[in-house]
Amino acid sequence: MSSWQASAYALALAFAGMTALAFAMERHHEQLTGEREIPRRRGQLLRLLGSLLLAAAALPSVGGWGATVGVVAWLGWISVGSLVAVLWIAAAPRWAARAAVALAPLALWGWWWA
Amino acid sequence: MGKTVIDRRPGSGAGRGGFRQAQAWLHTWCGLWFSWLLYAVFLTGTLAVFQEAIGHWMTPEHHAEEAAHEAEQAAAEAAGLASSRGQRLAWGAAFMEKHHQGAEMWEIWPTDAKGGGELKVYWFDQQRQYADAELDTRTGEPLDEHHHGAMRATMGGEHFVHFHYELHAGQAGLWVVGVAGMAMLVALISGVVTHKRIFQDFFTFRGRKGQRSWLDAHNAVAVLTLPFQLMIAYTGIAISAMSFMPVGIWSQYVTAPAARQTFAAELGEPGKPPRLGQAMVVPDLEPFAARGQALIGQPVRAVVVDHPGDGAARVGIYGWNSDANADKRLSPNTGMAMFSAASGELLQLRMPGQAEGGGASLAQSVMGGLHMVKFGGWPMKWLYFLCGLAGTAMMATGAILFVVKRRSKHMGEFGSATAAVYRLIEGLNVAAVAGLGVACIGYLWANRLLPLELPQRAQWELGVFFGLWLAALLHGLLRAPAKAWLEQMALLAALCLLLPVLNAVTVGDHWPAQLLRGDWESAGVELVAWAFGLAAVWACRVLWRRRALVAGNAASSAANNVQVGA
Repeated sequence: MSSWQASAYALALAFAGMTALAFAMERHHEQLTGEREIPRRRGQLLRLLGSLLLAAAALPSVGGWGATVGVVAWLGWISVGSLVAVLWIAAAPRWAARAAVALAPLALWGWWWA
Repeated sequence: MGKTVIDRRPGSGAGRGGFRQAQAWLHTWCGLWFSWLLYAVFLTGTLAVFQEAIGHWMTPEHHAEEAAHEAEQAAAEAAGLASSRGQRLAWGAAFMEKHHQGAEMWEIWPTDAKGGGELKVYWFDQQRQYADAELDTRTGEPLDEHHHGAMRATMGGEHFVHFHYELHAGQAGLWVVGVAGMAMLVALISGVVTHKRIFQDFFTFRGRKGQRSWLDAHNAVAVLTLPFQLMIAYTGIAISAMSFMPVGIWSQYVTAPAARQTFAAELGEPGKPPRLGQAMVVPDLEPFAARGQALIGQPVRAVVVDHPGDGAARVGIYGWNSDANADKRLSPNTGMAMFSAASGELLQLRMPGQAEGGGASLAQSVMGGLHMVKFGGWPMKWLYFLCGLAGTAMMATGAILFVVKRRSKHMGEFGSATAAVYRLIEGLNVAAVAGLGVACIGYLWANRLLPLELPQRAQWELGVFFGLWLAALLHGLLRAPAKAWLEQMALLAALCLLLPVLNAVTVGDHWPAQLLRGDWESAGVELVAWAFGLAAVWACRVLWRRRALVAGNAASSAANNVQVGA
């Protein structure tokens, strides 16, 4: 796995994770669905999923750069991923959700096969 | 004099109101007064990430020469004519013996990591300055300084590096930037305390809402990249810790300059033996190089001889970090093996990524590596570039937010001078944010437009940078803010978008040619300039619309007044 691939996977997972965490919040859930109230289970599920995806972003980072540089890369791509999430959700919440749903499995699949 | 009027409004002034108000006060003023300087440090520091690429773009004569040199090298190797490392080391030693007898130290860089490349020799001259010479790799004869042909004298990307940590002002500049770095840490922490809804607003950005949007943007770039901003400010200060906190050294080494040298020698060259005073010919260096290479497991970058010609001479072998080394280690230290020249005994061994002097030295080395992103290759550089831009945006949005808040509500912080101070701050904002951008891209324009034979050419390029910045400041202070913003942004957009045209006209290089020869560094510089240019165009559009809107409002309210008057 080249460090470019590792970056792409880590960024995709960080973005997807942050997007999931965002849609677990009332304000952004409303942007997406129009409903202010989030069903409790859905909120919990989104939070769990978001946390898992953020944790998963460490896999390509540590795989690509080793444990020390990998942790720096992981934190960095989480920051960039969250900036992408904020911009995308503000511009087009539905497309942000679709992108997160599409990119997360693609990145995991790519990491698995690399 | 009259009585001092005591300001009794809650939440203004240091220590007024609760803890959070006090922190808000600290954040506002500490942030504001340092924001312009920090913006400059951040923008140039962010560009400094790509210092090699910028330097490459700024020395176009070098491209052809590099390619010719590589072809020549490859041909020589194919024909079996390339000089061996042993031959090159012998040439380097012979050159020093002949031309620089009595030098305390010889430093020979025989080959690049692949065993080819240039042969260079370094030593300290009479003024204790680093001096160097390049030797012909076919004959071992010294090459003329101007064998590179008419080169463009330039500081290249180094300008951004030096400016961002010492403002081209030596120790004084280092201290100014250090104090600004401390202020940034204060502003970051007080900003987190001030930001009441840090988690509720974590993902919030509401566009087209004036002050609200500026605050959202300021919060988003700061909070989401907070780990990076804390790290970069802290490591930036830690790199120069010994300058900023000299008392520990003073207490052990007194303050005389000679004592500082002793300290530097003991820290940097531990166990360096004193001269014996017995003459001893410098032995053949190749066997040392071969042993050192085997010990550290890296190809030889430099062979350093301390006390050449003396019985106490020692030979240090330093390695090249491979990409794989550099990718996975935070410390940029290469391997090093130090031998006694007389006995051949191994005196000291440092494996790649380790540091002499224990944990503190290693921590220092890692801090430097973390700040300068010597690890992780190109993707890491891009990551730092993006996070650095977020930091730059944090400074800009903060400074603009200060003004936007006060456009609708005069806060009277400076008594009767408030309006004038607000005006000054607006002017400084324009010059700092748009003006510095113009100065940076103008520096690249100067590189192409100044005549090659101009004396002190590199200084002139810097002169253009500072001259443009000063002009932007005057323009920002003299012109109405809305016009100053629009005009400087338009200039920035034009300079950025026309950079590839300038390059094509002056040097004849363009995107198709760059891509065909795989020159991503040159193409990258121009593509990034385009990205900045498009961002400036967008800013112009926003400013233009706002101007039309303000003009429209003014016209309609004037019409209303006329009706009322009639």
